[in-house]
Amino acid sequence: MSKQEIAQFELDTIELLKNVMDPEIEINIVDLGLIYELYYDGDKKINIVMTFSTPSCPLGDTIKTNIQETIRQKHPDFTIDIDVVFHPQWNTAMVSEEGKRVLGL
Amino acid sequence: MNGLNTNNAPDSSVVVPHFIFGAINFFVLAILIILANTSLLEAYFNNKIIAITHMAVLGWATMIVFGALYQLIPVVFETSLYSEKLAKFTFWISAVSILFLTYSFWIGAFATLLIYAALLMFFSLLLFVINILLSYKKSAIKNTSSKFIIAAIMWLAVTELIGTIIALNFKFSFLTVIHLHYLKIHATVGLIGWFLMLIIGVGSTLLPMFLISHNLKYKKLDISFVTLNIGLIGLIINWFLVQKLLFTAVSWILIVVGILLFVSFIYESYKKRIRKKLDVGMQYSMLAIAAIILPILISLVLLIGFNFEFELLSRVVVLYGFSIIFGFITTLILGQTYKTLPFIIWLEKYKSLVGKVKTPLPRELYSKQIATTQFYLYLFFLVSIPIGFLMNNSSIIKVGSYSLLAVSILYNVNVLKIIFHKVKNNENE
Repeated sequence: MSKQEIAQFELDTIELLKNVMDPEIEINIVDLGLIYELYYDGDKKINIVMTFSTPSCPLGDTIKTNIQETIRQKHPDFTIDIDVVFHPQWNTAMVSEEGKRVLGL
Repeated sequence: MNGLNTNNAPDSSVVVPHFIFGAINFFVLAILIILANTSLLEAYFNNKIIAITHMAVLGWATMIVFGALYQLIPVVFETSLYSEKLAKFTFWISAVSILFLTYSFWIGAFATLLIYAALLMFFSLLLFVINILLSYKKSAIKNTSSKFIIAAIMWLAVTELIGTIIALNFKFSFLTVIHLHYLKIHATVGLIGWFLMLIIGVGSTLLPMFLISHNLKYKKLDISFVTLNIGLIGLIINWFLVQKLLFTAVSWILIVVGILLFVSFIYESYKKRIRKKLDVGMQYSMLAIAAIILPILISLVLLIGFNFEFELLSRVVVLYGFSIIFGFITTLILGQTYKTLPFIIWLEKYKSLVGKVKTPLPRELYSKQIATTQFYLYLFFLVSIPIGFLMNNSSIIKVGSYSLLAVSILYNVNVLKIIFHKVKNNENE
């Protein structure tokens, strides 16, 4: 797989993750800016570095499950590694224009 | 990562019965207030008011708090509850005790039934205290929230001990000072030691989380913890041993400083919130925090001790209790029910379905229209009752009482709607 194809796959996967909602804030996790990094190895592995809006997020585990299930529906035999980090801390600068509109920012 | 849904979270059969029983008791409470009628304007220690107060603080508020705490202990302590079996057993003993205790007060069986009811209540609360303390012992987390929660648990034990001693005194008359003196200490320790400290412990975690605010000054809460506890200990020592106005005043100042530091912390969180629009649950919660100013002002009036006639003084004392139990505690519980219960049930029903099927949002588990109507009716109740008290007008109080009944019915409808939410067939497809 070429670098260009890998980059396109990563963009498609990020687009796919727009189907994963934060059920409390009611914005998808991509527009909310929770996905920091997403890498595809060109074979069957995706690495995601992400955060939550707060370290004590009550729905953190559910959001992670939702990400795994959403990707596996399209790529059933893929391995998905999700690293949750709180540095840098999530802030409103990471929210997309659509997300800002919903949050009333 | 931790949250309401960690592997340590208890089974919903531990938590949910508390919400159901608490909601039903809220309805019973509204009925009792209507039945009490003009007794509400009589001396604050009459048996009807005492029965209503215990139904409010134990049957309603403490029941919901117990349920919420069982869910939150794994979050705050980062460990599982010591014993779920003990929690279930405690629920049944507490439920029987609360009804028994309220009935004993209502019929004025002070020297007979009350003693057995109080002992049973003491036993059930002791079981709760033991379960939480043993859970804390397993925990490696010793932060501000957990400190407040443990202090609150200890103050609950003290409250219950004093309450049981008062109950025993009705039959055996061994106390040298009239029981009203101890009643004052019992109520103060319960409201400030148990409820306020617990609310600070839990609220300082949940409210910033729901407001989505960061970089808050937690030092305020550390200072609040010290001033509140020193103030409360000082007040108790003073009332038991010294009985000097100066000591009461100093203790009052320390407690008020502690409360204002918490209010300041929440205000900071409110100002820094990322989510600008408040939903109905957070509207209630912010109203509750603002309403805390009322008991501070009324307690100042009582402290200064204007030469009120006994009749007016009694109504001011009832108003003081009302402002804490309904203005602050109930308002916060009503709001936080809409923030926590839908998530607890949503996670239970949809945890295994996320990503596989389209799931509703947690807020879609209850009716927003009912919640909003309930909010405005409750505001009406909060305003009408104090006016009725100050004007000594039982008709206004009656109108306010019926609005509380409507609030309790609407609340029950929504709580039951959440708890008995069915995963719809089309969501499984």
